[in-house]
Amino acid sequence: MKTLIRLAWEALFLSEEPYAEMRDSPNAVPRGLGLVVLVALAVALVGLVGGTLEWATTPDMRDVQKVVLEGIKQMDWYKELQDNPEFREQFTQQFEMGWRIFPQLFGAPNLATAGLQIALLPLRLVLTWFLYGLVAHLFARLLGGQGGLGQTLGCTALAVAPQILNLATFFPYLVVGGVVGTWTILCRYVALKTCHRFRWGRALAATLLPYVALAVVVSLFACLGGVVGALIFGGGTTQ
Amino acid sequence: MKELFQLGRDTLLFKHEAYVQHVARADALKRGLALLVLVTLIAGIASLVVNFAGGLRPTNVQAELREVEEGLQAFFDDAGPFLNLPPDFKKGVYQGFRAARPGIEMGMRIADLPTPLPKPVGIALSSLGKFLSLPFNRLAGWIGYGVWVLLAAKLLGGRATIAQTLGATAIYAVPHVLDILGPVPCLGGLLGLVATVWGIAIYVKALAVANEFGVGRATAATVLPALLFTALALLGMLVLFILSLALG
Repeated sequence: MKTLIRLAWEALFLSEEPYAEMRDSPNAVPRGLGLVVLVALAVALVGLVGGTLEWATTPDMRDVQKVVLEGIKQMDWYKELQDNPEFREQFTQQFEMGWRIFPQLFGAPNLATAGLQIALLPLRLVLTWFLYGLVAHLFARLLGGQGGLGQTLGCTALAVAPQILNLATFFPYLVVGGVVGTWTILCRYVALKTCHRFRWGRALAATLLPYVALAVVVSLFACLGGVVGALIFGGGTTQ
Repeated sequence: MKELFQLGRDTLLFKHEAYVQHVARADALKRGLALLVLVTLIAGIASLVVNFAGGLRPTNVQAELREVEEGLQAFFDDAGPFLNLPPDFKKGVYQGFRAARPGIEMGMRIADLPTPLPKPVGIALSSLGKFLSLPFNRLAGWIGYGVWVLLAAKLLGGRATIAQTLGATAIYAVPHVLDILGPVPCLGGLLGLVATVWGIAIYVKALAVANEFGVGRATAATVLPALLFTALALLGMLVLFILSLALG
């Protein structure tokens, strides 16, 4: 455990030593898996503390809903339309529906969601690590890389290190922002460069190609979904 | 800590040896980041105090709105004759304000709703959270732009590793300690501009030292991503303009 924490801390600062240590480790995959789960659990638990403090310093959402509804009813456009019973009925329905979605979207503190992260975050990070590791390994080998699959997975597991920054969410209202994503890409670059002993150009290609592949797959599925949708709805109108 | 302060001071004075020694260290990125975080937190202390004190002040919705309206009136009285505003502009601003008024009132009423923990605790935690977010905002901007600079530097023949380049360029934040005077009217803005220009100069110098190339190539590597983004944005706008013309 202590060694894993040390490795993650050093990996965060993009030095090649921790990645080389992981590459040369005989049990790189179990260590990598352990590290990803450990970091994810720590981040989720700390996030729960921060989320609880935020919840405890935020008004009850039902009270907020009441104030918003009263506020809307004071607006000129509402006053103009309120005599129309159809409008009133539709407005109430849409307001109730919107209230179930928007507070979550705008980050209203939710203890259930924060608690659920204890199970979901490790799962998400493990899946992401494993899928990225597999695809990156494939591209790395195509680019002439020398590392084995276990070594690639071990090294790319260290790229979970920037998630350590999310431990700062212990403090409520703190926003870590996009820094974790960019930092993760840099860690993955160092991981693949060290694991496969690449020069910078190939390491960059091996790092970015999985993202390109993902974008292509998502676009294909979106197009396919569009075609299927058009066929279903198009077929429906012609019958 | 003393060592960090010395690095900060020497960086500000563009002492070449300080840059060389910093980049050569194995922990250059750690030191650079420590300096960046420290400077950002020092610079944010004033806004932390202002936010906390402002949060504790009891709010009077009507008084606040009156204050905004008076501010608008004062602006039009003082600056209006010099700005040569169209006749309907003032009317439009007041109409916009009146339309936004229920929304502002709503926001203020929500802020006054009771919470499980006492209000001052919430205000303190919220101010602290915003204050501690400042280094993350700066980090996001620095690293987000830095990856493109890294690529440009590599393409221009740079020799530094990622850790060296990032460690070196992180010290660009040092002049931003002047941002502590940000809330001071006029002076704050001026000092902010000085800090930005000074910071860019440090960035270029640090990039040149880390990559062992001249200031010309370091400037090119620093500026190229910005030029590229601007060109892409202009191209995007041009495409949109052509499309809008084509579609009538």
